[in-house]
Amino acid sequence: MPAFLFSLRSRLHRPSRAIAGILILTVLLAACGSAATPRPSSPPDATGSLVPPITATPGPSASAAPAFPVTLTDDDGTKVQLTAEPKKIVSLTPAETEVLFAIDAGDRVVGKVDDPANYPPEADKVPIVGTFAGIDVEKIVGLGADLVIAGGSGGTPQDAIDKLRSLHVPVLVLYAPDVPGVLADIQLTGNAVGRSAEAEALASSMEAGFADLTDAVDVATKPKVFYETGDQPSIYGIADDSVYAQMIELAGGDPVTTGSATNWEMPTEKLIAADPDLIILGDSAYGVTAAAVAKRPGWSGLKAVKSGAIKPIDDIVVTRPGPRLLDGLRLLVAAIHPEIALPSAAPSGG
Amino acid sequence: MTTGSDTVASRAGIALRLPPRRSPILLGAAGVVGLVVALLAGVGFGSVAVAPGDTLGILAHRLFGLDIAQTWPATAETIVWDLRLPRVFEAMIVGLGLSVAGATFQGLLRNPLADPYVLGTASGAALGAAIAVLIPVRIVILEFGLLQGLAFLGALGAVVAVYRLARVGGGAPMTSLLLTGYALGSLLAAGLAMAMYLSGAALRQIFAYLLGSFESASWGRLAGVVPIVLVASAVIVLRARSLNGLLLGEEAAVHLGVDVRRERALLLGLATLITAACVAVSGLIGFVGLVVPHVVRLVVGPNARLVLPLSALAGASLMVAADVVARVLGEVPVGVVTAVIGAPFFLFLLRRTQRGYEL
Repeated sequence: MPAFLFSLRSRLHRPSRAIAGILILTVLLAACGSAATPRPSSPPDATGSLVPPITATPGPSASAAPAFPVTLTDDDGTKVQLTAEPKKIVSLTPAETEVLFAIDAGDRVVGKVDDPANYPPEADKVPIVGTFAGIDVEKIVGLGADLVIAGGSGGTPQDAIDKLRSLHVPVLVLYAPDVPGVLADIQLTGNAVGRSAEAEALASSMEAGFADLTDAVDVATKPKVFYETGDQPSIYGIADDSVYAQMIELAGGDPVTTGSATNWEMPTEKLIAADPDLIILGDSAYGVTAAAVAKRPGWSGLKAVKSGAIKPIDDIVVTRPGPRLLDGLRLLVAAIHPEIALPSAAPSGG
Repeated sequence: MTTGSDTVASRAGIALRLPPRRSPILLGAAGVVGLVVALLAGVGFGSVAVAPGDTLGILAHRLFGLDIAQTWPATAETIVWDLRLPRVFEAMIVGLGLSVAGATFQGLLRNPLADPYVLGTASGAALGAAIAVLIPVRIVILEFGLLQGLAFLGALGAVVAVYRLARVGGGAPMTSLLLTGYALGSLLAAGLAMAMYLSGAALRQIFAYLLGSFESASWGRLAGVVPIVLVASAVIVLRARSLNGLLLGEEAAVHLGVDVRRERALLLGLATLITAACVAVSGLIGFVGLVVPHVVRLVVGPNARLVLPLSALAGASLMVAADVVARVLGEVPVGVVTAVIGAPFFLFLLRRTQRGYEL
């Protein structure tokens, strides 16, 4: 192998943790596009809901249990035909695994993608058919799956999706660009597995929860929030218009972003210029602590560092586009506006 | 046959040592047996257990049309026929192609460090693949997507550019080719790094391409790649005499009646075509194309008439074996496995050959 390729490869490997971190978060978030964020201050619609009706994103509008066979349109715009109610479901995103268990279809999940957070605990025994590194198509076929729910926008490798479809395994590709998209996907999942009513109940309870929370954080002052997603080899923050930015805005904060929709690396100079009021450590699970942050060269002058406003958070709950997204918003509000008494936690399960 | 290399070597006065005498027919037979064993292992192992009897039954039923009572579940047939068999064949054809191309490049450039990627194919293909990943259009022609298409064109384009840039007068001198390949490769690698930086969530796809895999193998893709690789490899094997001549240097080759300029361009083109076809379907799998020809040379000596076909057999078997190991370990990148298996074996052979080894 020529020397340049060696050096190229080692260059690829060196920041592997950071790359993996970025990949994980972009995949978990499903990149969360540039869709407009529903602002907390925007006037609620007729139902008093902050979130637009579920039919706003591609997907069937039917809320009554559809009889099988049914043809659904997934988030890629592909028509997926299901001849009968799926009995053996494979979930290729951790968020979908959570959704399936939350809408009472967990007992039919025969395979799942590895979930570092291992949630919900009942999903513990489900065989793993894929990891971050790749999907084991052979295992999925061997399980006799009659529905595979995959992640869109690069969440599940396109090769694996194509391969499964070529073998006549129905694949529903889901990809939520924003909070309404998450609720729409829950409904779509419910329709696909014959749990429409349960899905609708979950989605509308989440919708109500979001409305309640955003009503509660109708604040005049929005602290500048820097949400750190990684610190190796350089500091990673959040990209413009990402779901992180959207969630922080919903939680009554003003997100400090990298200034690009695709780049997650945060130049220190830019961070110092923005001078955030609060630093949230989404990378606290990787051992980043407030003390370590305060010691970083150039950071001591930051408002957040001087006032000690550096808080760890459970990154997965904040950003996983599943049933716990509301809990994530609650965590963010608690971090950004500790003075606000939150409405009591609504059960997020179906 | 060993006497052939003997005379060639002594005629050129190069310090080529004679390897231990072994019958090439025996070695060839061993290679074929190894290939069959690798095929059976490749079809027999996977993440789902399929009974060996069922596997053989499915193969006999589908391959030879034998009328066997179908005792196996339909999923087993899908796994063996639609997933494992195309994958094994793709590993074989890529292993074969990269080894033949590697042996050809090493001979042409008279450089033991040459491999199929030496003239910019790897970075050209990788840049093509990365650009395809960044273009949000899905085109599929005969099961080949934009990624495979641009990787193929990138690999070919890089070598065409290198050849043209390195050309002085009528031909391209070897040193000039190597250095141009290195320079252009570095430039393309910079483009690749930029594409990766810009790729956001698609980075994983580019990364997977750089590591190489046979996961997406299918009958349709095989139908596109197998003819290219087999025909080009066969033509190279038939021109082994020219390669032997070129190995001795240009003047010696002219004296042996080789049309140096034409043969070199032809062999270079064929080896590049093979490499481009391989990297288009499998991504960048390193090491096989570098080491397999050397291992074969350590065993049978430098005669290209032996080195080329035996490299083809050995490369195909090694790649299938590496892919089986990769699958059993749970989708480890196959390039990692080829290096882990191949490097120690190569070192062992190199140490055992007490006398010096030269091309």
